[in-house]
Amino acid sequence: MASTPQMSGVLPPTTKPAELEYGGDEVSALVLDPGTGTTRCGFAGEDTPKTCVPTYYGIIPDPEEQKYFGKLKIGENPINSVVDGMEIRNPMHEGIVENWEVATEIWRHCIEYRLSSRIEEHPLLVTEPIWNPLKKREKTTEIVFEDFNAPAYFLVKSAVCESFANSKPSALVVDMGHAYTSVTPIIDGLPLRKGSERTPLAGQHLTNQLRHQFTELGIRMAPWLTLKGKTPYTDLATAPALRTKDFGFQPHQSFLDLQQDRFIHEFKECVSETWPEAKTFPADINNLPDNFRGIADKAFEFPDGYQRRFGVDRFLAPESLFNPSVSPKALTGDLPKGIAEMIKDSIDHLDADIRANMLNNIVVVGGTSLLYRINERLNHELMTMFPGPRVKIHSPGQIPERKYSAWLGGSILASCGAFHQLWISKQEYDEVGANIIERRAK
Amino acid sequence: MVGPGFRDDHILLIAPGSRSTLAQLGLPESFTPARLRFPTRMFPGLEEGQYLPNKVHELKEGEEMMLRNGELMVAGPNGKPVKRRKADSTSKTAKADGAVKSADAKGDTTMADAADDHEENEEEGNDEDEEMNGTKEEGGTKLFYEDDFDEEGAIWCMEQGRIVNWEAFFALLLHIHESLNPTFHTPILMISQPCWTCKDKERICQFIFEKLKTPGFGMMDAAAAINAAYNVQHSLVIDVGYEKTDITTLIDWNIQEVNRTTIPFGGHSMNQHLHKLLPDLTEEEIDQLKRSNICEILPPGVPIPGEEDADRETVLRPPEPTTIGMGGLTQPKALDDEGNEEEDEGVTNIAAIVASGKTQEYLAKKEKEKADKKAGLAAGEKRLPNYKRETNSFLFVEKVQDAVAENEKTDHSGEALDSERMDVDVAPITTDDPQPAGEASAADGANGPPPAPSEGGPEAAKTDPDGLKVAPDAEGAKPGPSLMESMFSGTKEDDDAKRAQEKALRREEKKRQEAAQSGERRREIEVGTERFKAAEGGILEAIADAAHRVVSSADNYNMRSECWNSVIIAGNGCRVKGFKDALLNTIVSKYQVSPSSGTIFTSELPSNIPTPSGTGTNTPQPSTFSSQQPNALLLQAAANNAALAAAGQHHLSIPQPNQGPSSIKIAKIPEYFPEWKDYGFEECMFLGAQLGAKIYFVTDQGANKGFVSRADYNSLGPQAIHNI
Repeated sequence: MASTPQMSGVLPPTTKPAELEYGGDEVSALVLDPGTGTTRCGFAGEDTPKTCVPTYYGIIPDPEEQKYFGKLKIGENPINSVVDGMEIRNPMHEGIVENWEVATEIWRHCIEYRLSSRIEEHPLLVTEPIWNPLKKREKTTEIVFEDFNAPAYFLVKSAVCESFANSKPSALVVDMGHAYTSVTPIIDGLPLRKGSERTPLAGQHLTNQLRHQFTELGIRMAPWLTLKGKTPYTDLATAPALRTKDFGFQPHQSFLDLQQDRFIHEFKECVSETWPEAKTFPADINNLPDNFRGIADKAFEFPDGYQRRFGVDRFLAPESLFNPSVSPKALTGDLPKGIAEMIKDSIDHLDADIRANMLNNIVVVGGTSLLYRINERLNHELMTMFPGPRVKIHSPGQIPERKYSAWLGGSILASCGAFHQLWISKQEYDEVGANIIERRAK
Repeated sequence: MVGPGFRDDHILLIAPGSRSTLAQLGLPESFTPARLRFPTRMFPGLEEGQYLPNKVHELKEGEEMMLRNGELMVAGPNGKPVKRRKADSTSKTAKADGAVKSADAKGDTTMADAADDHEENEEEGNDEDEEMNGTKEEGGTKLFYEDDFDEEGAIWCMEQGRIVNWEAFFALLLHIHESLNPTFHTPILMISQPCWTCKDKERICQFIFEKLKTPGFGMMDAAAAINAAYNVQHSLVIDVGYEKTDITTLIDWNIQEVNRTTIPFGGHSMNQHLHKLLPDLTEEEIDQLKRSNICEILPPGVPIPGEEDADRETVLRPPEPTTIGMGGLTQPKALDDEGNEEEDEGVTNIAAIVASGKTQEYLAKKEKEKADKKAGLAAGEKRLPNYKRETNSFLFVEKVQDAVAENEKTDHSGEALDSERMDVDVAPITTDDPQPAGEASAADGANGPPPAPSEGGPEAAKTDPDGLKVAPDAEGAKPGPSLMESMFSGTKEDDDAKRAQEKALRREEKKRQEAAQSGERRREIEVGTERFKAAEGGILEAIADAAHRVVSSADNYNMRSECWNSVIIAGNGCRVKGFKDALLNTIVSKYQVSPSSGTIFTSELPSNIPTPSGTGTNTPQPSTFSSQQPNALLLQAAANNAALAAAGQHHLSIPQPNQGPSSIKIAKIPEYFPEWKDYGFEECMFLGAQLGAKIYFVTDQGANKGFVSRADYNSLGPQAIHNI
């Protein structure tokens, strides 16, 4: 089995103890938690990451450029500046790194931006999704030792970190992130591949659904950066002319999308709400039954000044997380299972004797879990699905703890004494090569 | 180890910035603006790895060097400097009050000391000082000449707040420490830049303890210091610097590290933009223009004179930069002609007048001239406030080493000379016959705003800092409110007449300001409406957008509105007149949610009406709800409570915020600091530092780990800095 850190600190017999030259107390270890939406980094032992950099990056394509085929723009501010020809891309695909050159630069930026200019002095703990394939794990190892020249390193499954962050050695971790919602059973600090599930019904899906919904409504989704100012209005039919800025060029569509994401994100925070019950969501929101009452309207103002009150339609996109068939924008390919269904699948895959334990320890984390009342819905669905055993959902009450759960768990792990012997040192890497990761941390 | 009780007067404060570093030894009874201001630069020393605060020219015997004022300096025998005027070759040994030191060439320490002395002189006296205060030293047969004015080869230690040259930075710290020469019981509090990494801080901590041997060292984040000065619990701090702006939210006095940001826009961006608009001016001229009284950012609704205000429909919204374009509406040609003329002829040799001892007469004469002129043009152009004039001029003060004054100095005592000098500089306030206001405004421009470190910093060390700064200007633009009031009552001037008048005026002035080849050169430079466009290079939008991003990513939903309600705009970059208002306007007009959208109350109400249809035709108006409000709110509150009770145990849901910001306000400036009131709160970070130092070192005495003590450092090493 994997030699993932355990709370007992007992090492599997196949592993030789590492030299204790990198006591985390002398040189603080760094914890890097790369995600599709943002990449988080900070010092081990602290309670929040110090930097949270968008994983999206800007590129001004230039075929002459040897390494990246363009000029890279990394970081919060560069990707939010209007630059001629800048495209926004993401080095991640399906939650794992695809473009290593750029990802390396983003990681480096994330560390050097505010943490330490001497990246080579710090042991580095990196998190990875459970579905990260061997090739990618080896590549990560290579980058950490070759590019960053780190003295020591370890790779941990983010779900393991999340269960630790919620002080549960065993848990069913539901991580609702940007690109994926994943379910991972953790038993005594070890992730079980069997029973691990994932679905793209997550933050990005919501954003796209909302974007589609707004477009259908005929809302002009001009983002702040392209506007000079706004003129409040409530009727789309008599909308005043947009006061757009003239940049002398047309910003790339991917840039506009990213900018739209900003107010869509605000909409998600302030207006979107999850229908709290399973299977009672009205089938046709434009033809509500007469007895349908009591939904609070919420108003939202778009950057161009358009104000609109959203009623039942603000439940629509979140509903599609549980019931993908209602998605405003039809999904292509096979219809994925809803989140609750997926959790059920995961439980069904597990041995019968641990199911009760898992159901009693469901840990819900990730930025998308902040969607208003999503946990109530989840609770309701699971109670309906598993009427017998007690279903209990645990979710941190603080926003940062939800958003940065994986990072926080990594921070706890890397700073606890028993973990020190797990670090893979540079010396070991030099002797064995990138495959060391498979031997030491499965 | 920590001696119980650091004393107020023993605390050293250092606030490094990209352009200038503020420092002060001791906390005064009533907190003051920083006493000392050092340019954040060093010059490479004579040996590798050695740094000096001033440029040093090395001359071998017999070598000649051309000084900036056309003077020749020859290294005489024994390294004695010999100065020669170019015109008359009467060579004179320069003996400017103690500037010549025949030290025994003890190597770099002597050198540094001498330099320090000198530097302090410069700081204490006025920077405008034109004395030849280079320090000369004999080192064998070499002559070392320190040149204050030459900035060539200067190593600026910081860029955009980041320390780019550590050796030079440490040399600067050492230099500051040595010039203040504090006791061994002096703890140090340093303001840290937000962009410094943890490693950077450790490095500084190590240096401070190991080289400066301080008993205690603390670091205070710039944003925290600004927040402390304003004494608000939650805030959004916008710190406009030279090449960067830091944007930070503080919640419950705590900095929100994750979402703070630094954008590469600052005071310098405005210079660059102005330079684009006025390519004929030099960078120095642009800088002084920016700091002069005539450069302002007009409030929304006030048209730029001579231009159509395209965006006037709504008074609340600022005129948009892009509609005004890149200065196409001004008269670049006129500027070309006249600007050049001015450069050549519009020069007054103040120093010569001073030297001749006829200062009073001269001033009286000038005053009379001015009065005449005013009478003649009572209703004319000159009377108009700045914002109504298509062109206006400012006095450009050029620093040139002054030979005449130098020569005369042997006759005067240094002090007398200094005071006379001061009379000229700040004539409107300190002498009994005030100089014309035009001069005053320019003097103000040059002396007052301190963003440029090396020159023109107001000297806090002077007993009367506002003496230098505040020059109420009859002709200059009035402050904001009155401007708004008078805006619509003003009569429209005939442009041609205006211009003709001005030309006549200028001719007169030219006549008056004749002669003089050297001295502190002042000349008027006239600029058109470009002076209203300093902030149009996108800086306002960039800051506004970044601020919105920063607050929107604050993790504590409820505190976001609190932050928006106490916005602090600080930093020397925002000294440009009207900048703060313009920035606030930009934020409000783009990001504030209109109150009519009724997000505050109505959104919470259960709706009894059909959901709006896709076309929005059924969209209810907020007014529909007004009658139901009280009841509905109660219902809502009850529902919320019930939901909370149900969810409470497992923290199932986190309450949803409202869309914000629904109001944006500038934080109230603190009232208890009279010294700061006149000085302006742009550098209030230094006020915060003093408050912080008082608490950390004196009141608290380390009980709450407000600083790193020697003992802490010995046991933990440089990382101890992170524990505070």
